[in-house]
Amino acid sequence: MISFKGVSSKFDSGAGIENATFNIDRGEFLCIIGPTGAGKTTLLKLIYMDIFPDKGIVNIDKFSSDKIKRRNIPMLRRKIGMVFQKFELLNDRTVFDNVAIPLHVQGIGIKAVKEEVENVLDNLGIADKRNHLPTELSGGEQQIVSLARALVKNPLIILADEPTGNLDPAASLRVIKLLEEINDNGTAILMATHNYSMVKDRGHRFLQIVEGEVRG
Amino acid sequence: MIDRFLYLVSEGFRSLWRTKTTALATISAIGIAASFVVFTALLGENLSSIVKLARSQYEFQIFFNDDIDNNQAIQINNKISNLEGIQSVNLISKEDAADIFKHEFGEDIFDLLNYNPLPTGCVVNLKQPTEGRLYVDPIINKIKKIKGVSEVRYQGRLISVIERYYEGFFVAITALAAAILFGTVILISNTIRLSIYARRDLIRILKLVGATDRFVRFPFMIEGLLEGFFGSFFAAIVSYGFVEGGNYFLSLFTHYRIRWDFDIVIILTIVIMMFSFIGSIRAVRKFL
Repeated sequence: MISFKGVSSKFDSGAGIENATFNIDRGEFLCIIGPTGAGKTTLLKLIYMDIFPDKGIVNIDKFSSDKIKRRNIPMLRRKIGMVFQKFELLNDRTVFDNVAIPLHVQGIGIKAVKEEVENVLDNLGIADKRNHLPTELSGGEQQIVSLARALVKNPLIILADEPTGNLDPAASLRVIKLLEEINDNGTAILMATHNYSMVKDRGHRFLQIVEGEVRG
Repeated sequence: MIDRFLYLVSEGFRSLWRTKTTALATISAIGIAASFVVFTALLGENLSSIVKLARSQYEFQIFFNDDIDNNQAIQINNKISNLEGIQSVNLISKEDAADIFKHEFGEDIFDLLNYNPLPTGCVVNLKQPTEGRLYVDPIINKIKKIKGVSEVRYQGRLISVIERYYEGFFVAITALAAAILFGTVILISNTIRLSIYARRDLIRILKLVGATDRFVRFPFMIEGLLEGFFGSFFAAIVSYGFVEGGNYFLSLFTHYRIRWDFDIVIILTIVIMMFSFIGSIRAVRKFL
């Protein structure tokens, strides 16, 4: 589903990734492990095509980094759910409105949006928070809202960039478990984290990034 | 498609409400700037109407030679009527002149002198040019050259003063309005840019969840239009208040009333909304 073929992407500072080649299959749970600044976020940005490789090709489903037109990037991103360390929620909108955004972007009818959002909030156990603002929630709850926003559009893959970075151990475990449940239902997960101990015994495939070099 | 359109329109309105403090600051800035444009336009409009009023008072009194009889007077009258720039000519016969004398001085000229020394003549009104300065001297010269005309009397000094300043004044007022409008455009553009800069995170998040540029831009366009509209509305109310206040003050001294022109406000509203709309599109583009 996703393939990196000899991909290099370097910044002026020297950070980035170097000659990465690997695949992610449908329904897979892959953990990218590496210290801060190793190139994990760069790798995720290459997948949602916020940046493009200096060398090599990234293929995601039918989209290819060397052929995609700018106007098609939103179509690619509609197939990818994203979860960030800092949640990236809109603090002036309710939980419901935050989760509904990806569906409005796709032009889905108001009634269907309501159903889908209620469904996801129910499944992730935060239905009672639907009318709260993100600032009224704990960090763990905010991250679950962020997860709901990623999941609501039924993506091929969820990219989670340090999803537990701002959470306490209990909330971190809850988020990891939710990601695993989502994965059990067929959605691929690519989780970038520097916290190896948290994911090492959970039976997922690992890739390690050290100074931009990706090791299987 | 319709759902998305309705969502985007409602987002434009809701966005204005969500960012009400910033929106209020933007609307106030647009309103204050637009008020200056309205005041300049109203100043031009009112001074123009004063000039028109003064021009409508332009009147030449033309006296014919003593030996001109009524038939010859009618011929001279016709010649003057045919000149370019003449609005109307009213013939004043010797008898009419005697009546006017009696009306104005309360004495009959025949009782005083036993004959009528008043000459035949006419009163001429001029056409007002649709634009630019009214040149009186060429018309006077042509009238003076007509055989039988002995004298032309007119308020030469007043007319020349009004006409001398007329063109210069309109050039100055147009330049002032253009400068203020330019300043307003810059101010609107920068104010909107700042308000959108404060929401660059929203734009980034929308892009990350797969929004197209058009989807991101649309609510900001609606917001820009609304801010332009409310800013202009603010300017309309402020200018109306000032004009009515000014009129109340003027009523203590004169019957003249300052005109508050609704057409100017409508035109300005459309122009300001257009600039706000374009300003929004340009500002959002930086973050797409």
